[in-house]
Amino acid sequence: MRRFEIINNWIDKNSKVLVLGCGNGDFLVELNSARMTKSQGIDINSEKVYEAISRGLSVIQGDINTDLADYPENSFDYIIAHDVIQIMEKPDAVVKQIIKLGRNVIISFPNFAYLPIRLTIFFSGRMPKTKVLPYEWYDSPNIHLFTIKDFKDFCKKENIIISRQHYTGFGKRNIPGCASPNLFSEFAYFMISGIKK
Amino acid sequence: MERKNIVNTRYITFEGPGSQLLLDSGQKLTAVTIAYETYGNLNKKRDNTVLIFHALSGDAHAAGFNSESDKKPGWWDIMIGPAKPFDTDKYFVICSNVIGGCKGSTGPSSINPETKKPYGLSFPEITINDMLKPQKKLLEHLGIEKLFCIAGGSMGGMQALQWIVAYPETAKGAIIIAAAAGHTAQQIAFNSIGRYAIISDPAWNNGNYYDKSCMGKRPDIGLSIARMIGHITYISEELMHKKFGRDFINKNRIKKSFIDFTKEFEVESYLYYQGESFIKRFDPNSYLYITKALDNFNLSQGYKNLVEAMSRVKSRCLVLSFKSDWLYPGQQSMQIVKALKINGVDTTYVDLDLPYGHDSFLIEDKKLISLVKGFTGGLED
Repeated sequence: MRRFEIINNWIDKNSKVLVLGCGNGDFLVELNSARMTKSQGIDINSEKVYEAISRGLSVIQGDINTDLADYPENSFDYIIAHDVIQIMEKPDAVVKQIIKLGRNVIISFPNFAYLPIRLTIFFSGRMPKTKVLPYEWYDSPNIHLFTIKDFKDFCKKENIIISRQHYTGFGKRNIPGCASPNLFSEFAYFMISGIKK
Repeated sequence: MERKNIVNTRYITFEGPGSQLLLDSGQKLTAVTIAYETYGNLNKKRDNTVLIFHALSGDAHAAGFNSESDKKPGWWDIMIGPAKPFDTDKYFVICSNVIGGCKGSTGPSSINPETKKPYGLSFPEITINDMLKPQKKLLEHLGIEKLFCIAGGSMGGMQALQWIVAYPETAKGAIIIAAAAGHTAQQIAFNSIGRYAIISDPAWNNGNYYDKSCMGKRPDIGLSIARMIGHITYISEELMHKKFGRDFINKNRIKKSFIDFTKEFEVESYLYYQGESFIKRFDPNSYLYITKALDNFNLSQGYKNLVEAMSRVKSRCLVLSFKSDWLYPGQQSMQIVKALKINGVDTTYVDLDLPYGHDSFLIEDKKLISLVKGFTGGLED
């Protein structure tokens, strides 16, 4: 299964990549074979990191909230934050940090303004549970949920350049950027970079 | 009965002009002997060597058996052998005894060729870096320039760290387990008590106990106390309590006419046994010299800081620590990882959840084995 096809397609071959929250390394394996990279990963869960290293992958157990500061600027061609920014303690600080460390940063996240989510809150008056956001309100790791509009506002405020975007809706169907993605897409992908010096 | 895999310890003495070993202290050692063992075969390209470094009380006998009557295999037999992480069907594995030691390599109990008497305290001070020098010579002697991987735990991990800084072009991969780039005050303190125990034993006699006139009296009590203290620090509180709890040796607790101040609890008897078995295989002076080398180890020495020291590193690194290791806690490994990361070194790190404490790297465990296997496998690509 090509679970990470959208992101993979944005990565140039033989690039230096860092994957944040890489888990047991499924994404790294796919990326390494599809784009001939020697990607590195970071994850906080020792059990998952153990699995990833056992697969011969280059992964560091560490906390994205605190341990990214160790990397020098522009260490990577791409930094990938797939479905993790909303679980960070300070998402803004992490984004500002990674646009320094990577020439390109790919951020993907569940869009909280997705129509079925809006309808659930409106009609049931309860926190929505979807395939992408399956948790109860009390055990959700997603402590900083946001929307596509929120993210774009943030990029504008921080002078972050958005170079690519991709939206998927119900059943992972692609949603064109002109078709109100903030309403119709469940998941969003952005490629961003810091200001050119 | 299964036939045992018999390996012989070999010895090499570096003699002749230019063979003197120049130590970090500026002193020289002549006619240095190194005890070593090898497992597997060197390939035609001479690029499949794995160099193993032992810990404080280890030796060259890392795997297999030295004789049919041996009950226990070498100290890292769980790692070295066919289909094991250091697969002897693929790799040529070398392990040697460090200088300053007492298991075949030149140390304080060896005969000084100049005086024809044991060195004792006239043996020069050695460093972790000094331990590497004859190992490098051994490799040259065997015609090996490039290493596939180097690996070690505890003091072995420190040797591996020193190696990737001192000889950055040689090793493709390095496995650094439960180590530190320099001892903390607590680590020095524990070693210091061990040294005090030895030197305050009257039989120590300023290190002169090898002579016949001493009638075989060695500072064994001092050494066994040092080992007992060390042993407490090598295992986790959890494991120790699980093993012994508050159990008494005499389960029925028959009333005795005296108070037993030494061996009433199971744990006391265990520690006593650890001390007793250690004195049979270790030289007290070696214990002093090696713990001193450990305490003096400081990878940043001669550099601005650890980051600058690590700027020389070219090897891909696997750094491992254990959650239950309170002697060499994860933070010390993370300092190493941080310095490697800053230098853009391809680094892999995990704080492994094993319950055995500092000695976790010596205990057979599926997780540890698959980690090291995964790393060496990844090195092959």
